[in-house]
Amino acid sequence: MLTRIATRLGQRRASILSRCLALAVAAALAWPARSAAWTSVLLPALSPFLAIGSGLAARAAGWIALLALPVLALGLVRPRWFCRYGCPVGLLQESIRRCPKSRPAPIQRRPRLGPGLVLMTFAGAVLGYPLFLWLDPLAIFNGFWNAGRQPWTLPSVAAGLGLPLLLLLELILPRLWCHRVCPLGATQDGLAMIGRQLRRAVRRSSARSQPISAGGRLPPARRQFMAVCAGLAGAGFMRHVYPRPSAPPLRPPGAVEESRFIGLCVRCGNCAQACPSSIIRPDLGSSGWAGFLTPILRFDQDYCREDCRRCHQVCPSGAIARLSLEEKRRRVIGLAEVSLDACLLAQGRECTACLRRCPFDALDMHSPDGGFSNQPRVDLAKCNGCGACEAACPVRPARAIRVRETALAHPQAAR
Amino acid sequence: MKQLMTRRQLLRLLAAAGLGPAIAQRTVADLASPAAARPKIAENQLAPPSNRPCYPAVMRDGRVIQPERPLAVIEETEVLVVGGGPAGFAAAVAAARAGARTALVERYGYFGGQWTGGLVLLVISSHAREDGRLVKVLQGVGGELLDRLSKIDGAIVHHKPDQFNPTTDPEATKFMMDEMIREAGVKVFLHCWVADVVMEGPVVRGVVFESKAGRQAILARVVIDATGDGDVFAAAGAEHERRFHAIGLVHRLGNADRAGLESLRANGIKSIGSIEPLPAVKWINLRGPSTDCLDIAELTRLEMEHRRSIWLRAQQLRQKPGGEPLFLLQTAPQLGVRISRLLAGVQQLTYEEARQGRSFPNTIAVGGAQNAHHRGWPIPYGVLIPRTLDQVIAAGRCICVDEKLIEDMRLLASCLTTGHAAGAAAALAVKTGRRPREVDIAQLQQLLLRQGAYLG
Ligand SMILES: Cc1cc2nc3c(=O)[nH]c(=O)nc-3n(C[C@H](O)[C@H](O)[C@H](O)COP(=O)(O)OP(=O)(O)OC[C@H]3O[C@@H](n4cnc5c(N)ncnc54)[C@H](O)[C@@H]3O)c2cc1C
Repeated sequence: MLTRIATRLGQRRASILSRCLALAVAAALAWPARSAAWTSVLLPALSPFLAIGSGLAARAAGWIALLALPVLALGLVRPRWFCRYGCPVGLLQESIRRCPKSRPAPIQRRPRLGPGLVLMTFAGAVLGYPLFLWLDPLAIFNGFWNAGRQPWTLPSVAAGLGLPLLLLLELILPRLWCHRVCPLGATQDGLAMIGRQLRRAVRRSSARSQPISAGGRLPPARRQFMAVCAGLAGAGFMRHVYPRPSAPPLRPPGAVEESRFIGLCVRCGNCAQACPSSIIRPDLGSSGWAGFLTPILRFDQDYCREDCRRCHQVCPSGAIARLSLEEKRRRVIGLAEVSLDACLLAQGRECTACLRRCPFDALDMHSPDGGFSNQPRVDLAKCNGCGACEAACPVRPARAIRVRETALAHPQAAR
Repeated sequence: MKQLMTRRQLLRLLAAAGLGPAIAQRTVADLASPAAARPKIAENQLAPPSNRPCYPAVMRDGRVIQPERPLAVIEETEVLVVGGGPAGFAAAVAAARAGARTALVERYGYFGGQWTGGLVLLVISSHAREDGRLVKVLQGVGGELLDRLSKIDGAIVHHKPDQFNPTTDPEATKFMMDEMIREAGVKVFLHCWVADVVMEGPVVRGVVFESKAGRQAILARVVIDATGDGDVFAAAGAEHERRFHAIGLVHRLGNADRAGLESLRANGIKSIGSIEPLPAVKWINLRGPSTDCLDIAELTRLEMEHRRSIWLRAQQLRQKPGGEPLFLLQTAPQLGVRISRLLAGVQQLTYEEARQGRSFPNTIAVGGAQNAHHRGWPIPYGVLIPRTLDQVIAAGRCICVDEKLIEDMRLLASCLTTGHAAGAAAALAVKTGRRPREVDIAQLQQLLLRQGAYLG
């Protein structure tokens, strides 16, 4: 009995020690130097929930998905191994838990949402819309750190609220998140179960059957079926019925088609944080409620640099595809549009700010009346909507040249 | 007619009340003194025979040859400014105020260049934005000119502390430039077209100019090229590049306050021109085709074609409902040449450097942003100094910046500030007995600050 307590204590200490270490590493990864922005993708990429959900939805898996493999494999043999030894969110929650020794009595009575969320997400992912991918705790963790490095504005504060909310929840209903909701935890439960089945199969074949101890159980098959149906229906709704905003927002270059984007994006804030021009901002409404906190582009200060694809490199879910630099330069974000009523050049002023700024030579001067009046003209074949013209335009409050969303922005048709 | 009356009234107003009794008196006295010093000359009186020697060009073997001849040196000065545009004006005033004996040669009969003679009345880039704050980068001589204009009723608009890019009245601007040049004690030669430089080895010693008095020379320790077209450094063989650019002709419409703007708008005329201090007048910018401003055939063609199309367009406007009272008040005396020669300086400032606000140890001015919503940029001294020539400093729209940045640097505010810096540097070079490129930067910056310039 005593030894058991001792090992238990030892285990606990090891778990805490390892998780403290993990927390430190996670924070360091999520708080990289500007030049090493790519490290912020490592933490969320560890999540098998995120990897499977986004892999299914994007029908593709890059090398990033490999990072989730060790966690996935360990999850097969060690139930909730990552929760115990790796999860920074779990550790933070535990550290503020008011009565660490109290039995988790209150939550026993609450339903287990996690498996349902996971099933709905994976089922939705098959239709291209992983419904609850954004609940991944590692993405939420990154969201907090990333927001903390942005200047304090309403959108940036909102983008960082996920982790504080989880901690608040922990204060009110201890352990509820970890044990009942967290989809990453539930994914591990599922993995553990699969692992047991596999082991049992192996043992059966070696004809040494033994009783299996109960662990993270799965919900009954009927509920599983219902969750899958709900996931499919939800994804179908989001892809085809959910009303699109009349003026869709501008997305980072390489963003997948809009109706999938808002599902695939996990709101981790990596792209906004990695952007050297700080043009990526969390959305507070222009893409509808479902697009809450997804990244949108604002060219009020700067533009999308032609030599940069950092947002591609740090996106853990593939919502922003990993394009080559050449592909990225050709990818259309939107198209520049001149408002002649506001344009200084069109009003006879000596302004060529946008023409000079365009990195793609997509603007030239055009005179409709033989030289009396002049205006910038956009070459639609060359413009990719990088926003340099908009950032350079000296007209206020609204710029005289603005990048507008265009159907060209997403060459791949909705799948 | 009404406009001319207004103009005369304005001038009378300037002289009588504009700057307070002290200045007005001094002005009137100054105006009176040169005339008083001369004996009265009866009208249509016989003048004494000119003793000017004749050296006509001659035909020799079918070629036109200019015989060698000595030139009269009519002035020896310390700082000589060629060109009385915004840059030349600021340079001359700054140099004279810094204590250098200063002369200014201008081919036309007034100061201001494109600003007054080109009727480009909007002083763009007077301000920039630093950390959300509006900063006035046009200070020093140019800033003082604007401030003094604002004390005259009807001479400037949009010159309040929270405003930027003021527009000035061309006649008030000419008047005030005259005043400041006179006060600074600059010796002025108007109607003198600088045609060549005087060289001694690799060093420029002065200029040769043409006038009604024939070809004469002025010698100087330092020459400031504020011709806009780089006539001086080009004549001296300094490295430079030549650019073609749009050449237009600015013009003005009268009776703008009586036109029916609503009806005109309904007929597709969104605007009849840009605001001026005189409510009855609007100025209209014309871009024109890009061509070679050193090609006299082109200049001739453009001048006449522009005037023709401007006339026709004004007539068209008068035929539109609401446009009846409008009339073509004036086409600019000077063709609107934007960019011609750009100096190869000891330092080139690029558009990217300016955009990033790169700082320099030898900053002598700060460039302002088009509509004062972007950051300004430091301008280093080296962009004014020819790489291959000594005793010449460039200023205004012909300095060493790249082809993109010149579009900002050629604007009036920047020409005024680079002009000011060139003048101060020239005076300092003379005083310390150094070549312009060797001027002590700390001393120059101190001098500029003392003269009220803004260096960031
Ligand atoms: C059509 C047009 C519209 C513009 N609009 C604006 C505007 O709205 N706002 C703005 O801020 N800027 C505007 N600009 C730009 C600005 O007016 C000029 O770039 C600026 O005036 C240049 O100043 P500067 O002193 O360098 O040269 P200039 O203004 O060209 O002055 C040069 C002076 O040197 C004299 N000169 C030249 N050669 C000789 C010589 N060989 N001998 C003696 N004297 C000589 C000239 O007569 C002139 O007085 C405009 C320019 C143009 C052409």
